[in-house]
Amino acid sequence: MLVQRQTTLSGNIIQLCKFLRTKGFSLSTNEESDALIALSLLPIGSKDSFHAALKSTLTKSKWQFEQFDDLYEEFWEELNKAVDSKVKESTKPDKDKAPSIQKPSFETLKSWLFNSEPEEEKDAVAYSSMEVLTEKNFGDMSTDEMRLIMAILRKIAKQLAHQKSRLKQKSKRNRSLDLKRTFSRNMRLGSDIIKLHFSEPKDKKLKLVLLSDVSKSMDIYSRFFINLIYAFQNSYDRIETFVFSTAIHRVTELLENHEFNKAFEIISKRVPHWSGGTTIGSCIQTFVDLYGHKLLTKKTVVLILSDGWDTGDSSNLKQSMREIHKRSKKVIWLNPLASSPNFSPDVIGLKTAMPYIDVLESAHNLESLKRAMKHLKSGRRKRLLYTNR
Amino acid sequence: MSIDLNNIRNILGNQAYITDNSVEMSVYLSMQLQKPLLVEGPAGVGKTEIAKVLAQALNTDLIRLQCYEGLDATHALYEWNYQHQLIYLKMHDDGGLPKEKLEEHIFSDKFLLKRPILEAISREKPPVLLIDEIDRADEEFESFLLEVLSDWQISIPEIGTIKAKSKPYIILTGNRTRELSEALRRRCLYLWIDYPDFEKEMTILKTKIPNLDLKLGEQICAFMEELRNLKLEKTPGVAETLDWAQALTTMHFTHLDKQIVEDTLGVILKDWQDIRHTQDSLSELLEKTGVISRLS
Repeated sequence: MLVQRQTTLSGNIIQLCKFLRTKGFSLSTNEESDALIALSLLPIGSKDSFHAALKSTLTKSKWQFEQFDDLYEEFWEELNKAVDSKVKESTKPDKDKAPSIQKPSFETLKSWLFNSEPEEEKDAVAYSSMEVLTEKNFGDMSTDEMRLIMAILRKIAKQLAHQKSRLKQKSKRNRSLDLKRTFSRNMRLGSDIIKLHFSEPKDKKLKLVLLSDVSKSMDIYSRFFINLIYAFQNSYDRIETFVFSTAIHRVTELLENHEFNKAFEIISKRVPHWSGGTTIGSCIQTFVDLYGHKLLTKKTVVLILSDGWDTGDSSNLKQSMREIHKRSKKVIWLNPLASSPNFSPDVIGLKTAMPYIDVLESAHNLESLKRAMKHLKSGRRKRLLYTNR
Repeated sequence: MSIDLNNIRNILGNQAYITDNSVEMSVYLSMQLQKPLLVEGPAGVGKTEIAKVLAQALNTDLIRLQCYEGLDATHALYEWNYQHQLIYLKMHDDGGLPKEKLEEHIFSDKFLLKRPILEAISREKPPVLLIDEIDRADEEFESFLLEVLSDWQISIPEIGTIKAKSKPYIILTGNRTRELSEALRRRCLYLWIDYPDFEKEMTILKTKIPNLDLKLGEQICAFMEELRNLKLEKTPGVAETLDWAQALTTMHFTHLDKQIVEDTLGVILKDWQDIRHTQDSLSELLEKTGVISRLS
C-alpha cells in the first residue's frame, strides 16, 4: 500500500479513499464527493467533526463503521511518515481483513482424491458390513446407478425450488379477489363487473444453505455428498454451499463456475484437512459468525450433512445450532450412519445439536434421501425421524 | 429550516434524545446532503427514536412506513380506492355525465389512497419519512425503493408523473436480520448505533427519569453493562433499562439487591432461557456490579 503526501486537503481525502479501498471499503467517486461536500460544511479547525464527517460519509456497513477509526488513525500516521513527494512503503502489509483462508495442503488432498489406500478400503468394508439394507447404499454405487440418482435428485431439487411467497400474482383459480385487476379490466367494458380476477401467492424461491462434513468419518459418503451438493447448486438460484472438517470453507462459487470434476478437484485441494477429524462446533460457529447474518433468514433451509462425530468442544456447537435454528426456516440433518441398526444419536456432536434439529434423516440411500428432501418443502414441525431399516 | 452543526445537539437534546458525535454528524450531514440515513444497530438502542425526535425538532410530520415480508408497492406508494370508484360510477350510471368527465373524476385525488411514500413526497413542507425495519421487507421491495429514492418521482399511469414537492428527510432503520444490498447502502449515509456506554446510559436515565435515585441509576447501568456481556438470546436495550429504572423508581427503591433483581428480571429480559441463565449467574453479576461483596 502506498501513501503519498498531498499538499491539498482534497488530495488527501482522495488518498484516504484510496487507502480505504485497499482495506476492503467499496468507495466510488460518489462517496468521495460526499466527503468533500461534507467537509466544506464544517467549521474549520474541529478535529473531531472532521473525523466524524468522514466516517459518516465513507462507511456503509457495520464492519466498515467499526474498522474506520483505526484505519483513519493509521492513514494519518502513514501520511505523517511520508516525506514530501517521496513515496514510502507501508510497514504493515496486512491487507487480509477478510476471513482467513488456510493454505491448502496439497499433498494430503491429492492423495485422498486419487488413492485407493487399503486402510480406507478396510473402513469402507466395516461400514458396509453394518448395512442390512434392501436398497443400495450410496457408499457403494456404480457410476451408472449414480448417474440415474443424480437425474432424480435434480428433478427433486427443481420441484423444491418453488415455494409460495407472500407477494401476490394473478391467478385463474379462485383464491382471493384481486380488486385492482378486476376493476381496471371491467372498466374497459363499462361500469358493470362482469368478470372477476383473482390473485394467489407468488412462487418463492427457496434459499438453501448446505453444510457438508468431509472429515474422515464421513469419507465414504463425502464424494456422494459433493455430488448431491452439485446437483442442487445448479437447480437453485440462491444456494450456499460450505464444506467443513476442522475448518469451514465456502465453495458456492467454485461449484457455480466449474464443471463437476474440476470443481471437485479444486475443492479437495483447497480443504486442508480433508478426511481428517472434525470439529463441528467451531466450524458451525465460524459459519454463524461470518455468514450467519447474511445467509440465515426465515426463508432459509439449512441442510447439515454430517455424522456428528466431534473431536472438539461441543459447547459452542450448542450455541451455534441454537442460533441457526432460531434464524432459519428449518434445520435438516442428514446422517448416513443413522441407517445402521445399532445407531442411536448419542454421538456427542449430534446429541448436542439434537434439540435444534427439525428433521434427522439417514440419507444413505435414495429412498431416505427422497424422504428428507420432502421436508424441505414443508414448514417447521417438530418431528424427528430415524430410519432404522 | 437551516440547522447548524453546533445546535443540532441542543435541538435533539431538547427532545430528550441523548446523542454522541457520530449521531449528530450523521443526522446533520444527511440533512445537508439530502441523503437518506441508514441506521443499523441492535434492538432497543433508539434507532426509530431518531426519526421521531427529528420530526419534533424540525416541527414537521413524521410519516412511517413499517416494513414487513410481502410489503409491496400498493402499500408503500398508492392505491386506487376501487370500492369508491365503483360506487361513484354506479351513482352516475344514468348517463348524466359524459364519459370523459367521469373518467377524469374517478381518477382524481379524491379516489387516490396515498400510501406513506407518495404522501411524503407530496407535502409542501418536507416531513420526516421513517422506513422502519427495511431488512424485513423483501429484496424486491428494496430495489423498488431505490428507484423512488433516486428519482424523487412516482408515475401513476392514470394521472401521470408526480414529482416530489419537497425532498423528505428519510431515515431507514435495520436490525441486520438480512444483509441489505450494496446499492441501497450507497444511496444512504450509514450510522451504526451500539448499546450505550455507562456514561451515556446514565445521562439518558437522568434525562428521562428526573426523580431517579442516582445511586440506583448507577447500579442499574453497571448491571446492564455486565448483563449485555452475557451471551443472551435477546440482549436488553436502552428501552429495557428505562423500563426497569422507571419501575424501580416507582416502587421507591434506592438501591439494588439480589431479591429485587430476581423479582424484577422480567422487566429487562423477555426470554425464559435468558432469565434462567441470568438467575444462575446472578451472584457473579451482582458482584461485578459491586452490588454485593464477595463476603456477603
